[in-house]
Amino acid sequence: MAGMITVCSKELTDHLGSKRYIILFALILSLSILLAHQGAEYVRHHPRLGFMAAFTGAQSGFSFTAIMVIFGPIIGLSLSFDSINRERASGTLSVILSQPIHRDSVINGKFLAGTIALSLLSTTTIGIMCGVTIYILGFGPTAEESIRIVIYTLFTILYLAFWHALGLLYSTVTKKTSTSMLISVTTWLFFSIIIAIVAALIAFLLVPARIPTVADGNITQVIQSEEFKEAMRRRVQIQMNIQKLSPAYLYSEACNLILTSNPSGGFERPVRSLTLAESLLAIWPNITAIIAALIFCFVASYILFLRLEIRPER
Amino acid sequence: MPETVIETFELTKKYGYITAVNRLNLKVYEGEIFGFLGPNGAGKTTTLLMLMGLTVPTSGTAKVGGYDIIRESREIRRIAGLLPEGAGYYEDLTARQNLDYIGQLNDIPRLERKKRIDELLEVVGLKRWADVKVEKFSRGMKQRLGIAGVLIKKPKIAFFDEPTIGLDPQGTKEIRDLFIRLNREEGLTIFLSSHLLYEVQQTCHRVGIIRDGRLVVADTIENLSRRVFGGGRVVMEFELTDVNPELIKNIEAIDGVSFVKQEDHKLYVHMEKDKAREVSETITRSGSIILLMRPKEYGLEDIFLRFYRRD
Repeated sequence: MAGMITVCSKELTDHLGSKRYIILFALILSLSILLAHQGAEYVRHHPRLGFMAAFTGAQSGFSFTAIMVIFGPIIGLSLSFDSINRERASGTLSVILSQPIHRDSVINGKFLAGTIALSLLSTTTIGIMCGVTIYILGFGPTAEESIRIVIYTLFTILYLAFWHALGLLYSTVTKKTSTSMLISVTTWLFFSIIIAIVAALIAFLLVPARIPTVADGNITQVIQSEEFKEAMRRRVQIQMNIQKLSPAYLYSEACNLILTSNPSGGFERPVRSLTLAESLLAIWPNITAIIAALIFCFVASYILFLRLEIRPER
Repeated sequence: MPETVIETFELTKKYGYITAVNRLNLKVYEGEIFGFLGPNGAGKTTTLLMLMGLTVPTSGTAKVGGYDIIRESREIRRIAGLLPEGAGYYEDLTARQNLDYIGQLNDIPRLERKKRIDELLEVVGLKRWADVKVEKFSRGMKQRLGIAGVLIKKPKIAFFDEPTIGLDPQGTKEIRDLFIRLNREEGLTIFLSSHLLYEVQQTCHRVGIIRDGRLVVADTIENLSRRVFGGGRVVMEFELTDVNPELIKNIEAIDGVSFVKQEDHKLYVHMEKDKAREVSETITRSGSIILLMRPKEYGLEDIFLRFYRRD
């Protein structure tokens, strides 16, 4: 326990002073100020949506949640992709493990330190986001909305912690930091871009539907036919189900549910808003899935780390 | 008889099909510098890692300072320090910060830690560099920092794995002197793994030779020398102006000389007992002039190679 706290405080000091953390923090922070401005404008134009729309709504380009969906993996992975293999390669790991600590103190401490650093980052940015929005709009969230923002913050921390745990796993499995970096970049590309393309492609192949052209004459008739609508609906369904494999998608879906209380994620006009309990219930599968993935990554790296042969590479 | 501080019992470690350490039985006594010798890949590092509880033996066990290496490895790491091969330090931290971290991991209270770090930086000669980042350090300085890191916990036993590898002669000598001083002044038991024979000969009281994971022999260097070359046997080296077969025959005829080996103008006379006087008389009588005459000393290299070759 004492060893874990020592490792954690050392790692946390390293993180907070490291260039990559400072750069990412500064980037996210400045983006969040810009996005708060944009979000506030959005709320002003859509007063019915309430305060929360500041996080999800965007007049043009990306909303705050969209930015977190994309940057989240980079932030989480960048803090941990080299945390074990770098120490292994540089020989510091064998020195640390020669001290009277349990071996798991090292990996627990590293994970804890990363999670604290990420919590700090999320809480600060979301806090500033709220502050700027309140300043521009002149009104703040209601009590229920505040609770939703807290849940959203916790969920964001969980999302980042998952990517952090994945990076930790990569750094335990690989010996070279260049390898784990490459895998991290690939993972990020895959879950934020490639999976959407693949999902669209699969849906296209599974549900054949001819897009009418001018030659067909009455385009509106084809488009409005039940058959065509059904095909499109099925495509979207397949696409969404495939994308649910991606933690980024799960996060973005859950964010929409908790923040805009719109069950269809903006695809269809909401019938009515969800209550807080209903929102929680709706995002519960997403939370569970991300927690399960997080636990899997951490346990796998934990076990691998305990079995790691620490003799230096020749 | 001094107390045994390290004892291994049939210690074995297998990596897949490769047996790195094979039923090793070894004893190290308190207060000695024990040299653990062997060629690269003989199992030295694996043995050290097992003794520190950093890797689990496949079978067999060992005790270090009375603690079992499997069940009480954390206690061992409390009383024993290891400078691993290829040890590294946090480059972006200073020498003092690095030592402080190691001190913290050993639960040394803050004030005590500060005091010890100052003392140790003095001992290893890094006082001037205490607040310089390690990235600026030379190899020798890093190695000395590593030794300070081992000593910060005030260990009873210190393991050093190839401590002078890659160092210049000056750095090597400094570290060797430091070991001897620590052993004499603090009574530190030192377990030194090396393949540098000279280093071992200069510092160690006893040596153990390991080959293919097996301990071939463990004894003092004098005893080993006696065992290899037999008691009382002497080899004399002569350098002459002239050497001819007849002279060799004459020398070999002297009672007590077993045989003569010739290398150009040099003769190595192997004798059962000291017959140097008779040999030199024979040489002078033959008309040749002795340019050089000295007893040939057997170094660790000869001993090592003998044990290494023997099957």
